[in-house]
Amino acid sequence: MIDALSYGLIIVGIIFWFWGTLPLLGNRSVLFKLHSLSVSDTLGSMAIVFGLLLKIPNEWSLLILAIITLAIWNTVLGYVLAYCSSSNKKQSINNQ
Amino acid sequence: MIDNYIYVIVALLPLSALILVSQTNPYNALVIRAILGAIAALVYSILGGADVALTEALVGTMLAVTLYVIAVRSSLVMRLGILSKNSDSTEDYFTELIANLRKVTQKYYLRLELVEYPDRELLKQALLKREVHGICERSELSNMDNNPIYQTTIRVHRLFEILQTEFTFPDTEISYITIPSSEDKHK
Amino acid sequence: MDSILIAMILALLIPIYEAWQDDNIWQKMLAFASIATKTSIMMLVISVLRDDWSIGVVAVIILSVGEAGLMLLAHLIKRLNEV
Repeated sequence: MIDALSYGLIIVGIIFWFWGTLPLLGNRSVLFKLHSLSVSDTLGSMAIVFGLLLKIPNEWSLLILAIITLAIWNTVLGYVLAYCSSSNKKQSINNQ
Repeated sequence: MIDNYIYVIVALLPLSALILVSQTNPYNALVIRAILGAIAALVYSILGGADVALTEALVGTMLAVTLYVIAVRSSLVMRLGILSKNSDSTEDYFTELIANLRKVTQKYYLRLELVEYPDRELLKQALLKREVHGICERSELSNMDNNPIYQTTIRVHRLFEILQTEFTFPDTEISYITIPSSEDKHK
Repeated sequence: MDSILIAMILALLIPIYEAWQDDNIWQKMLAFASIATKTSIMMLVISVLRDDWSIGVVAVIILSVGEAGLMLLAHLIKRLNEV
């Protein structure tokens, strides 16, 4: 039961990865890609780590640390990347 | 014993190295270098070298790339000495000239930095003392009613070659000057 | 478990291809952000698979260091064009 649940979570995480990474290939703007990428990377990775946690509970400290790291730093990284790329664009428009 | 996926992951390393070598823009190449570092850390850790992977991530991806971005930014620059703004009626022409020059230098991933000097004498001195790579000023023999002629003097030969082939803007002359090295000046 | 890792490698190939074919530096940075997260999660999966603590600790450290390096690099690239 728990084994099936963990495999299911890992597979859901990988599906999330593909769903968020495939828009990278299109010709969309950086912010659109960033949105889908940060959502899918954070949620997909967290699902994978949860699946691993159910599968092998004796490494729980490490895996919970990974989940907290993902939740905090991936969100902050999304903000930082969006801020840097958009302010750069505004500046180049002003220069032209 | 060795699982199949290890071969596939190890094959990613030469793939990203080939992508890195094929880049021409130095900043893009540095971002790809960071990607290569991330993949290398993955390969090292699945082959059992946890300490090597940690070193690669800390030094190869973070420290080296950061330092190289700063180094490339401060060395890929063309410093052009100009006269500071005085009451000239040729402002439009001059800004257009600088914009054209910037377009040429951007093709070679150079940054154009303008250094202002108060008068012609200091401008010449700066060129002779190698404070700037080139100077741009109105030539003295231009007739005042027609379009002004700007004189650009470059002391770096490679820059002169690039500008001579790429820079085509009316009424601007480009010339090359050889400056004796500082040892000769002391004698 | 092997097929899960193969699927992860396929997901990793997408941002590598994107980093190769797109010339805009911010698109490359996005691809790098994706690759940094994916490689460290793969390391974590492999460490759990082998029940190896040292690889797991290194994976978590690389996960946070990689993101820190990315933020640093993003700020540096933002200031490239300022004089």
